[in-house]
Amino acid sequence: MEDNRKDKVKVTHLTKKFDDLLVLDDISFTVKEGEFLCIVGPTGCGKTTFLNSLTKLYKPTSGEILINDEPVDLLRHNIAYIFQEYSTMPWLTVEENVGFGLDIKNIPKSEAKEKVNEYLQVVGLEKYRNYYPDQLSASMLQRVVIARAFATEPEVLLMDEPYGQLDIELRFRLEDELLKLWERNKTTVIFITHNIEEAVYLGERILVLTNKPTGIKKEIYNNIQRPRNIAAKDFVDLRNEVTDLIKWW
Amino acid sequence: MSLKKFVDKNISIIMTVLAFASLLIVWELVSRFTKAGLFLPPASLILEKFILSFKEPIGKYTMLTHIGVSLYRVGVAFGLSTVFGIALGVSMGYSKLAEAILKPIFEFIRPIPPLAWIPMSILWFGLGDKSKFFIIFLGCFCFITVNTYEGTKNVDKTLIGAARMLGASERQVFFDIVLPSSVPYIFAGLQIAVTAGWSAVVGAEMVHSNEGVGWLIVMGMTYGKTVQIMVGMLAIGLVGFVLATGMAKLERRLCAWNNQGM
Repeated sequence: MEDNRKDKVKVTHLTKKFDDLLVLDDISFTVKEGEFLCIVGPTGCGKTTFLNSLTKLYKPTSGEILINDEPVDLLRHNIAYIFQEYSTMPWLTVEENVGFGLDIKNIPKSEAKEKVNEYLQVVGLEKYRNYYPDQLSASMLQRVVIARAFATEPEVLLMDEPYGQLDIELRFRLEDELLKLWERNKTTVIFITHNIEEAVYLGERILVLTNKPTGIKKEIYNNIQRPRNIAAKDFVDLRNEVTDLIKWW
Repeated sequence: MSLKKFVDKNISIIMTVLAFASLLIVWELVSRFTKAGLFLPPASLILEKFILSFKEPIGKYTMLTHIGVSLYRVGVAFGLSTVFGIALGVSMGYSKLAEAILKPIFEFIRPIPPLAWIPMSILWFGLGDKSKFFIIFLGCFCFITVNTYEGTKNVDKTLIGAARMLGASERQVFFDIVLPSSVPYIFAGLQIAVTAGWSAVVGAEMVHSNEGVGWLIVMGMTYGKTVQIMVGMLAIGLVGFVLATGMAKLERRLCAWNNQGM
């Protein structure tokens, strides 16, 4: 399928070794501006290493990662990363947590306040603005993190199994919330998951990774119309196709 | 409010009062009706002398001045140890180089009790207040340093990663993540240190002094005045209790986030 959007993220020949252990093996792909890309692979295939190399939390052994055709630089490029672990700051209130990224980026106070209010409303946490993370449930914590990430209006949003620890109902709700935010802000999203259904539900394109050393097994375009119905035939067919690709049993 | 409800609501206060009252009654009975009375003055006598000491001087001064002077010494030493302890703890916790250079020296000095420093402190700082500050300082410093070090070392790496990903500089990571997340550890250290400092005051006031609650005990020991010793101990216990409670309250206020939870 022809995609006329311009390239946002370009990964070329990304390789990562830990001593002699080859974890990422010559990975190359492109993400378009405003695209929702899902990356799936078997558990332990090195998905997180892949994302950490992408963000330079790990230094790649070789290869190049470009954003807007420039080498990725966390201080220059506006990237947000949502971890699997809850990463709210326990000493800040919900409101302060949502505004944390804006403070870091020295956004003027009045503008930051407006953004915080806006995103608190989007994730439905206005009533809890003065609560501390210890007082919130798991799904609320993850919504705070999502609001914090979107409030900075990132060029690229990286998500590493953000809903891995939530039950199925909460996961569905937060997935819909995420899609709403993505459609609203046209953010480029790279979403890593081992949950195939989640990848088919969210992604415009799915990259299926191989077992270690990790490479790209297949790239699948997902044209199923939104809102997607997980019980519809096209959904189930695609889910089965992806499942067959990562099957190790 | 019914009696049962009142008791349920105030159970911990009631138990504390009962525990203290039982201790005092047992103490009183033992000292009045057994031979232990030769070495243990009755609680009522100590309480009476303690109250009286606010009007009648012991030595040159009344109890308020003794407490005030000791508080001043502990206050100055505690303040200095807070500044240096936090600075050293943070440096060792945050910088591998500082840890490699300073930690072995710190670990070498840490086990030496403050009292062992008395002769050297007189030699270095003379007989005035400076040597007393130094001894109390040593009593507080290690607790603050160790706790701050642990706090800085145990910062959740996910939070540092999250801040870096949001574009935080090294300085922002330090001030916005490392320091605030160490605060509960630092406060725990300060709470132990304020009690330890108040304990070290007795040793410090052994060094040529004419006033202070430590001096009351030292002089009581020199002249065999058991009641004065126990009055001094009571003063240390009470002031220490007030300081520790104050610190705990301050911690609850400043680290409200650490005391929440549904």
